[in-house]
Amino acid sequence: MRRLFHRFGTAFLAMPLVVKVAVLWLIFIVVAAIYSRLDRLFGQALPLQDPFYQPFLFGEARPVEGPSSAHYLGTDVLSRDNLARLLHGGWVSLIVAATVVSFGLVFGGFIGAFVGYTRGKVETVTMAALDVILAFPPLVLLLALVAVYKVRNLTMIALVFGVLGIPTYVRIARASTLGVAGREFVQAAEAIGTKRTTILFREIIPNIMPALFAYALINAGYVIVIEGTLSYLGLSVQIPEPTWGNMINEGRRDIRQTILPIFWPGLFLTTSVVSLNLVGDWLQQRVAVRSSAL
Amino acid sequence: MFGKVLAVRTVRLIATLFAVSLLTFLLVEQLPGDPILAILPPGGLDDLENIERIRKELRLDDPVLTRYFRWVGNALQGDLGKSYITDQQVSDAIKDRIPVTMELALLATLIAAVLAIPIGALSAYREGGYFDRAMSAFTTAALSIPGFLAGIFFIWLFTLKFNWLPSTGWNRITDKGLLANLQTAILPAAALALAPLAVNARLIRADMIGTLKEDYILSAKAKGLRDRYILMRHALRPSSLTAITVFALQLGGLIGGTVVIETVFALPGLGTRLISGIYQRDVMMIQGITLFIATVYVVVNALVDLLYAALDPRIRRQ
Repeated sequence: MRRLFHRFGTAFLAMPLVVKVAVLWLIFIVVAAIYSRLDRLFGQALPLQDPFYQPFLFGEARPVEGPSSAHYLGTDVLSRDNLARLLHGGWVSLIVAATVVSFGLVFGGFIGAFVGYTRGKVETVTMAALDVILAFPPLVLLLALVAVYKVRNLTMIALVFGVLGIPTYVRIARASTLGVAGREFVQAAEAIGTKRTTILFREIIPNIMPALFAYALINAGYVIVIEGTLSYLGLSVQIPEPTWGNMINEGRRDIRQTILPIFWPGLFLTTSVVSLNLVGDWLQQRVAVRSSAL
Repeated sequence: MFGKVLAVRTVRLIATLFAVSLLTFLLVEQLPGDPILAILPPGGLDDLENIERIRKELRLDDPVLTRYFRWVGNALQGDLGKSYITDQQVSDAIKDRIPVTMELALLATLIAAVLAIPIGALSAYREGGYFDRAMSAFTTAALSIPGFLAGIFFIWLFTLKFNWLPSTGWNRITDKGLLANLQTAILPAAALALAPLAVNARLIRADMIGTLKEDYILSAKAKGLRDRYILMRHALRPSSLTAITVFALQLGGLIGGTVVIETVFALPGLGTRLISGIYQRDVMMIQGITLFIATVYVVVNALVDLLYAALDPRIRRQ
C-alpha cells in the first residue's frame, strides 16, 4: 500500500502542471460524489442539503435564488439546492463511468488477450460478432437498447453501458496482445515450457494493461458525455433523481428564469471530461514512449 | 487488383448489413408490452374477438424469424411497415424527415472543413506559438463539450442575450427561401460541427507540420516566395487528400450525432422522430429508423474504407 502511494506520488510529480490540476480536479469530483451518497446513507446527517427538498412549498425560500450562504450555488425553479443536486448527479456519472471502465478492463481485457494469444477460429468469430456491434452508431444502438428496458434506474443503466463498452476494449486488448505475443520474453517462456494460461496471466495481460488503462481514461470521458446525452433526452436515470444530463434538461425548460441549473452541471460535465482527456493523453504518450524504448 | 478488393468489401458489407438488421429487429422485438395494447382504444381489451382479428391482420403470431424475413424483405423494397400508433408509413416518415437531418449533417461538415483548414495551417505555421497554443486549448475544449450543451449555450447566447436568431423550429428552403432556412439551421449545425472541427484542425496541423519540413518547402522559401503563398499553395495541397477522406468519414458519425441536436433545437428531423417513437413505444418506427440510420452509417463507412484503398496502395495489399 505504501509502495503504491509512493509510486503514485512519483508519477504525480512527473506530470506537467495542467495534468496535475486535472488529476486534483478529478479526485475532488469523485470525493464530492461519494460524500453526497454517504450523506444519504446517514439520513442527511452531513452538512449537505436534501436534493429533493423544495423549501418554497413550506414558505422557507423563494424559487430561483442566486448563490448565498444558505445555498452556495443557488436554487432552481423548484427552489431545490443546486449544490446538492450537482453532487448527487456526479455520483450517477461516476458509477456509470466506473462500471464501463471496470467491465472493459476485466472482461474486455481478458477476452481480447485470450483471443489475441490463442488466435484461430474463436478469434475470427469473436471479432466478427464485435464488428456487428461496432457497426452501429453508438448513441443509436444505445437508444434502441434503452428503449427496450422499462426500468431505468442506475443499476440498469450502468449495466447496459458496461456491456456495450466491452467491444472496443476487446479490440484494443487484442491489438496490443498481437504486439506483445511475438516478443522475446514470451518466446522464452514458451521455450522453457511454461503453461499457456500462465503466460497469458503473467506475461501478456500485465503488458497490455498500461495501454488499456490509458484508453480507459479517455473512454471514461466519452461515457460521461454519452450518459449526459441520454439523461438529457430523459432516457437514462429518471427524474426526480438528479443527473447532470437531466438537470440540464430541466434547466433548458426554465432557461428564461435561471441559467444556474444548466451552468453548474455543464461546467462539471465539461471540466471532468477535459480532465480525463488530459490525463489520458498524457498517459498514452508515456505508454507509447515506454513501449517503443523496449 | 482493385476489383478483388471491391468484391471482398461488398460481401463483407452485405454480411454486416444483414447482421445489423437482425440485431435491430431482435432488440426492438424485446420491447415489453404487447403492441396490441398500443393499437386498441381504451377499454378495447375486453373485446377478445377484435384482438384476435387485429393479431391476424398484422400477423403477429408468426414465429420471430418468419417475421424478421418478412420485415427485411419488405425493407429491401422500401417498405418498412406502418406505425401501430400513428398509422403512418415508416418510409414516409423517413422521407419527410431526412432532408432536415441531411442538411444539418452536410452544413456541419462544411463548417468543420472550412474553419479547420486555416486553424490547422496557421497552428502548424508557428508550431508552439501563441496561436498554436490557444487553438490547442480550443480543440481540447471543443472535443470535451457535449453537443447538446454547446447547443444550449448557443441558444442562451444568440437568442436570449443577443436575440439574433430563433432558438427552435425550422424553416424549409422550399417554403421560406434559403436565408430563412439558414437562420434556423446555423446554430444547430455549429453545435454539431464543434467536435469534427477540433478533430480536423488537429489532423491538418499534424499533417502540415510534417509537410513544412520537406525540402521543397525550403526551396520555395529560398526562392523568396511569401510565407502565406507557400502555406496555402505548397503545403496545404498534399495535406488536403487525407483531410477530405476524414471529412467524409465524419459524415457517417454526424448522422448519429444529429439525434440529440435536433431535440435541443426542436427540429423536425429523423432524430426527433426516433426519440418520439421511443417515448411512444412505437415498435415499427424505432425498428425502421434505427435500421435506416445504421445502414447509412455502415455504407458511408464502407465507402470511406474503399476510398482509402483507392487512394493509398498500401492498404490495398492488406
